[in-house]
Amino acid sequence: MTALEGLTSIFPPSRLLRDAAFQAAFESDGLTAFRAKPLAVVLPETADEVIEAVRWCHDKSVPFVARGSGTSLSGGSLPVAEGIVIALNRLNKILALHPAERIAIVQPGVVNQHVSQAAAPYGLYYAPDPSSQSVCTIGGNVAFNSGGVHCLKYGMTSNHVIGLQAVLATGEVVTLGGSSVESVGPDYTALFCGSEGLFGVALEITLRLLPKPEMFHTVLVGYDSLQAAGDAVSAVIDAGLLPGALEIMDSLAIEAAEAAVACGYPPGAAAVLIVELEGPREKIAYEREALDEILRQTKPFAQRVARDEADRLFIWKGRKSAFSAVGRLSPDFLVQDGVVPRKRLGEALLRIEQLSREAGIRVANVFHAGDGNLHPLIMFDGKQTGALQRAEELAAKLLRLCIEMGGSITGEHGVGMEKRQFLPEMFDGPTVALMDRLRRAFDPKLVANPGKMFPGKEAPALSSVGLHPLEQAGVISRE
Amino acid sequence: MNEVLLAPSTLQQLQAIVASEKRVLPVGNRTKPPLSDCNGAKLVSLRSLRGIVEYEPSEFTFTTQAGTPLTEICATLADKNQYLPFDPLLVAAGATIGGTVAAGLSGPGRFRYGGIRDFLLGVRFLSGDGQPIRAGGKVVKNSAGFDIPKFLVGSMGRLGVLTELTFKVFPKPPQISSLWIQCQSHRQAMDRMATAASSRWELDAIDYRPDQQAMVLRLAGPESANASIMDEIQANWGEDISELTTSAEFWHSINELSWFSDDALAVKVPTTPQQMLTLIESLGAESPFNLHASVAGNLLWILLDASEHLTALDAQLQALEIPGLVVRGPSHNPRLGKWRSPKIEKSIQAAMDPLGKFPHYV
Repeated sequence: MTALEGLTSIFPPSRLLRDAAFQAAFESDGLTAFRAKPLAVVLPETADEVIEAVRWCHDKSVPFVARGSGTSLSGGSLPVAEGIVIALNRLNKILALHPAERIAIVQPGVVNQHVSQAAAPYGLYYAPDPSSQSVCTIGGNVAFNSGGVHCLKYGMTSNHVIGLQAVLATGEVVTLGGSSVESVGPDYTALFCGSEGLFGVALEITLRLLPKPEMFHTVLVGYDSLQAAGDAVSAVIDAGLLPGALEIMDSLAIEAAEAAVACGYPPGAAAVLIVELEGPREKIAYEREALDEILRQTKPFAQRVARDEADRLFIWKGRKSAFSAVGRLSPDFLVQDGVVPRKRLGEALLRIEQLSREAGIRVANVFHAGDGNLHPLIMFDGKQTGALQRAEELAAKLLRLCIEMGGSITGEHGVGMEKRQFLPEMFDGPTVALMDRLRRAFDPKLVANPGKMFPGKEAPALSSVGLHPLEQAGVISRE
Repeated sequence: MNEVLLAPSTLQQLQAIVASEKRVLPVGNRTKPPLSDCNGAKLVSLRSLRGIVEYEPSEFTFTTQAGTPLTEICATLADKNQYLPFDPLLVAAGATIGGTVAAGLSGPGRFRYGGIRDFLLGVRFLSGDGQPIRAGGKVVKNSAGFDIPKFLVGSMGRLGVLTELTFKVFPKPPQISSLWIQCQSHRQAMDRMATAASSRWELDAIDYRPDQQAMVLRLAGPESANASIMDEIQANWGEDISELTTSAEFWHSINELSWFSDDALAVKVPTTPQQMLTLIESLGAESPFNLHASVAGNLLWILLDASEHLTALDAQLQALEIPGLVVRGPSHNPRLGKWRSPKIEKSIQAAMDPLGKFPHYV
């Protein structure tokens, strides 16, 4: 295949995949509604091979998508049709771990959870914990500035990346930041984090590690209304506590989690709240008293405290499996990721309920209540004609609701393929234009993950919903 | 020193200045004069564009105009028992919030929850072509679009004119206590800092004063917890430990960079703990340098009383291949040592400043 001339001299046939089976294996990511067949998939084993692959793409003007475990929920690692997928899973080494400096230097294909596992013998851990942490990779976390359940207190991925080496879309290799948590000059490391693969590919990432909290105090609280659970969150925050996590699930999400992992949540609860305090035992002794008192006043109908670490993980299991568990209630679903100011959570949930009723579409709600990050799970049956379109229409309404309330279209999943037409609704013309200039400064030929974040010329008109133009052109398909 | 200082009192005036002047450099209250060394550009002060725009204690966020003095912000937050945990610097000296972001400065408190970059959620600014830009958001969690707010931290006014900023804040801890720990050597202090930083104690700040070989730990939490943890630290590290009775004054003198004198030249040097030890050992013996090590070995402050010693310091930093930033002193190129600028810097600057309005470092 002459189109791949040159690439075949970089990669042996066993690591340059181009038969239909492999193309199919990589045609989609965590957002399964979209599919596109890449020209080829390459499996580099060294940073130099990644650099050579990117340079080849740049020279030949062939688009590429770097990919870790393909867990993106915004379609961020969806292949570009007739482009190259650079699968980074074999660059999975923790290159260095310096306990005295509390940093780890890792390759992009390292699985998130493996960093904490490697740091554990030193009493350290890596704080960002997306629900997919047992499979998702640090490279993907950096590209999409992934979050997790501890963001209010600890921030997102970019708050824990202090430096990186990357090959830019032009093939140039740059070092950004360093090994100190402090820096001088503009923060290029932060600019790279969350750039959704549009600037280039991270090759080495320096992560900040934190001391593992001595103790956790995890409380599962059941309420007879979603409103009561929301009010409890406000009460905790207003009392001056700073819990590591504050999570709410509604009855539909509880039902799904219960069916999937039998997590033992209080039967009949309209909502459950998980509050987790963490820190030295003396501090927890003090704070748990304060928390007990606050929760007592919120009139929960059930409450239990995790007895030990196993029990704590059991409580979290229900929450962390909620997305996949919804698959038991519905053949297909869309996960949304909007953010609203926390004080408007109650109002947002009522509007979601109303919109869900009007559309006749079931929506389960799981959310990071401490930071106003909603995850409505919009259920549909893709086999029914027009069902996906109706689900997307509802999703669009929910995103616009978040913008209208002063929030964001994405808290932690990124814009990706899924929400790109909403970027110009969240940001005005001059801001989108500036972002576009920045992107072109890194990637003048637009070969790095094109079609993500920015509504391209081929994007649907903002007000219209329907078949994706690439889909109409037969380039991508979804079900 | 610098040229004419303009101080617009409306956003429209500011835009008109950016549009009409050939070269401009935004400043706040000029508490860090070396950062506004500008090669003939017009200095535009944001000090009249001040005031907190929105403050929602229950959201843990506030939005403020860039020229707002930190004194006003800290007092407003304190009224609601909240604070900026990274210890903003030069508050009493009159620093503005916009200038603090542009300078990229955080104090000892950045150890626990992160620096100013980690608390900045959103910005409004004018790009070099005078366009008002709004990036980031007003909510504590947001990953839409490029993270331009964080990128502008440390940009020294050379990538845009910050006009409005949104920050995350935290509830104030109930009590602050500090321990003064005498060490036998710099090496021992570095080892203890590493141990303390990885400990169960959840310390609020871990600093070290090389000339006195004294480590200073700050605890922030319930009084009973602080007391118990202090007992444990004392039991661990022997009798040369005492509670610092002048805790508030001590940290104030770090945050104002005034432990040596109020107007000494001040240089910020980001380090790894190993680089910190090397620098302390090589500079400590030379009397003109007054050192304070912060953030568990990640930030070295160097105060000196005469600019002629900057040359020697520059050489030391060059040898270690690390950068330094002169934040107080005469107007002068503030960049010391080895600055690593990514090759794409020029094209990024062109994207932010298409008309070349802001002076850039060569």
